Amino acid sequence: MATRLRKFSTSPVTKAIAFILAVLIPTGLVVLALFANFSYLDTECLFVEDYFDSRDFANRMRKAAAEVSDTLYSRVPPENVPYYYYVSDGKKEWSNVGKQDKSFFEQFEPAFCSLENGQWSFGRSTDFTASDIYIDRLKYYAVVDKSNTIYVAYPSETSRAWEQKWQKDRETFMPMFMAAAAGIVLLLSLAAYLAAVTGRKPHDRDLHPGKTDSTFSEILIAALLLTALAWYAIIEPAFDENPIDTGKLGTYHIVVLVLVGIITSAAATICGTILLTLIRKLKAGSLVKHSIIYKIFYRIYDLAVSLFDGRAFSKYPLTKSLFYRQLIFIILSFVFVFLTFLFIALETYAALIPPVLEMVMIYWYIKGNNRTYMDINRGFDESLEEQMKSERMKVALITNVSHDLKTPLTSIISYIDLLSKEEGLPETAKDYVKILGEKAGRLNNMVSDLFDLAKSTSGNMPVDIEKLDLKKLIEQTLADMGDRIEKSGLAFRVRLPEKPMQINADGKKLYRVFQNVIDNALKYSLQGTRVYVALEENEGMAVATVKNTAGYEMDFTADEILQRFMRGDKSRTTEGSGLGLSIAESYTKLCGGRFKVDIDGDLFKVTISFNLVS
Amino acid sequence: MDNARISSGDTRASNARILVVDDDREIAMAVEKLLTREGYEVIRAYDGMQALEALAENQIHLILLDIMMPKLDGLSATMKIRESRNIPIIIISAKSEDSDKILGLSMGADDYVTKPFNPQELVARVKSQLRRYMHLGDIANGSRSSQLRVGGLCLDTDAKQLTVDGEPVRLTAKEYKILELLMSNPGVVFSAEQIYEAVWKDVPYSVENTVMVHIRRIREKIEINPKEPKYLKVVWGIGYKIEKV
Repeated sequence: MATRLRKFSTSPVTKAIAFILAVLIPTGLVVLALFANFSYLDTECLFVEDYFDSRDFANRMRKAAAEVSDTLYSRVPPENVPYYYYVSDGKKEWSNVGKQDKSFFEQFEPAFCSLENGQWSFGRSTDFTASDIYIDRLKYYAVVDKSNTIYVAYPSETSRAWEQKWQKDRETFMPMFMAAAAGIVLLLSLAAYLAAVTGRKPHDRDLHPGKTDSTFSEILIAALLLTALAWYAIIEPAFDENPIDTGKLGTYHIVVLVLVGIITSAAATICGTILLTLIRKLKAGSLVKHSIIYKIFYRIYDLAVSLFDGRAFSKYPLTKSLFYRQLIFIILSFVFVFLTFLFIALETYAALIPPVLEMVMIYWYIKGNNRTYMDINRGFDESLEEQMKSERMKVALITNVSHDLKTPLTSIISYIDLLSKEEGLPETAKDYVKILGEKAGRLNNMVSDLFDLAKSTSGNMPVDIEKLDLKKLIEQTLADMGDRIEKSGLAFRVRLPEKPMQINADGKKLYRVFQNVIDNALKYSLQGTRVYVALEENEGMAVATVKNTAGYEMDFTADEILQRFMRGDKSRTTEGSGLGLSIAESYTKLCGGRFKVDIDGDLFKVTISFNLVS
Repeated sequence: MDNARISSGDTRASNARILVVDDDREIAMAVEKLLTREGYEVIRAYDGMQALEALAENQIHLILLDIMMPKLDGLSATMKIRESRNIPIIIISAKSEDSDKILGLSMGADDYVTKPFNPQELVARVKSQLRRYMHLGDIANGSRSSQLRVGGLCLDTDAKQLTVDGEPVRLTAKEYKILELLMSNPGVVFSAEQIYEAVWKDVPYSVENTVMVHIRRIREKIEINPKEPKYLKVVWGIGYKIEKV
């Protein structure tokens, strides 16, 4: 089998062996521990070589010493004890070996202890620091009276038997202990190996989720804890079973050991699988995210955030979503303030929570608002860009169409002129040529008016704003058109102020405005009526009005007449492009003025106003 | 338009040769017909390069030049021609913006006519340019201190006589005085009051109309197209001036 070795083998066989070992090792450890328990093992024997250095021995000696020293108060000596003793308070003496001096007891060294002149000595040591239930008692006796004397010693056979068992235990369990230690080291390495390779496969670098990975993390952890708990509940009574007195394992104990082994290996398999699953999830970064608690909290968090980041209101326009966010912000703020006061009234530290939430909400609110403003800005920029683009296209279109219309018109007008100069044409043909000339001229006017209007409304017309006198401009315009006014038969009533009316405007454009407005009055006035031209100052404005009486019924509104190509007479027989008032309005706006049309019965009134400048 | 001056001062500049350049062949031919009818000799070209070639091969007195043309456009051609020649150039273009006109004139063109043009006006402008070009010698010789010159306008203050491109024009006393005032200060804007005070020697009161009417009449006499005056301009809402040429 070609196993690719990267850092470690990820082959399924290797992993399976490692896993089985990782299950068997703890099983063995538990069985061993149980066996040790059955065998009355004192684990101290694994660490202390000489029994007389052990805590076990020290405790036996101190217990005997404590029992003997009780005699000083109870005045009743202990009976049937496995040790020899002598105790005296200086007056009365007790002993179970008759009157013996210190040398009798000392021969049992080191299983010997004494109290003389208020000083205890225990065999080889006088150590009181070792923690021991008898020490306090012994201390107490030590300071009562310096005349007290105590000697205690175990017979040599007894102490030797202890020592022999100690040595036998050491011989039996030391190899087992070493094996257990090695097993733990191996187990840790296996665990590390399994943690490293779980989810990996030999042929790629991807992380492959296992079958159990789709389980929520909490369920896995709960299963892990439950298994461990169940295992402990089953195993624990086995440790309370009666130990082996004989030193040999009985059938009962073997059955218990086997059962514990089976249960432990089953529990270890389950726990191992769950742990590896959790590790895989950790490696995949889904340990926290793929959990019920996280999902619930995230849902709540997400709902709260969505109220502020605009998702909740994404189907509304941006300004509306701003409004809703504001509304939620205010309502929640009220709720938080209310809760704060409520908690303060209840004198609980929970009062600190709403202000913290409020702060978080303010952060979200500002963030969400900023994003919305950015969106609005972007939309604004885009629409501006779009508008600029369409304006540029419009201007390009106007320029191109203008050229394309003017070129053939040039030919038409030129050849009509040549034709009109042609000798020997019949009279009728001359009339036709004359008509052609007039219409070509009108077409020319219309085309140039149309382009003027298109340019001015597309904002692509340069304006040359300067300070000028509106009164003078009106006078000049009227004088310029004097011939036509005279010929029209209309009476012009001109009322202009004495003083100049200084405004800021483009003189040429404004001349065109008044020319068109007066032209309109000349064309559409009822014969023999008067045209009123007035200029006056009104609230810081120079207001010019041109009023005339229409020679026909005006069945249109003021707005309609400013529409392009709208003409007073529907039959469209009169000359003119129908763009005059539209151009006038557009040019007035270009110069920064206001253009208004009022229609009242047969009265047609144009009002043009500009801000006065000093 | 006013054709009075054109027909009256119709001195046929015979054997003057004119180069007409336009990529639209019908327009070029129409212009050729218009000009040959007036007795001029015409050579046609359809782009800037052809124009330069025709100019090198022939004795040309005036060029009519379109702007939007293939190979070499009218403005570039104007610049090229101006490197070596001083003959009158009239640009004929569909580009009608003020900025286009200013650009064309600053490139060295002598006049700028927008399409579609009035044929009579075009002929008049050709004549005007040719007269000035042909009579350049006379003008240089006869330059006296008593003469006020602005472009083709020449006002002789001694003889109280105005000539436009060498053609005498009759003016009334008031018209003459107004023109003298304005031509003495080309480019300066005079208000109606200032003109009235200087010409009528009277206190100006409600004189805008009077002055404007006179200005209109002068324009009809000296301008080829009074609606688009070349010399005498109304500064709307301010006053009047003679354009500095």
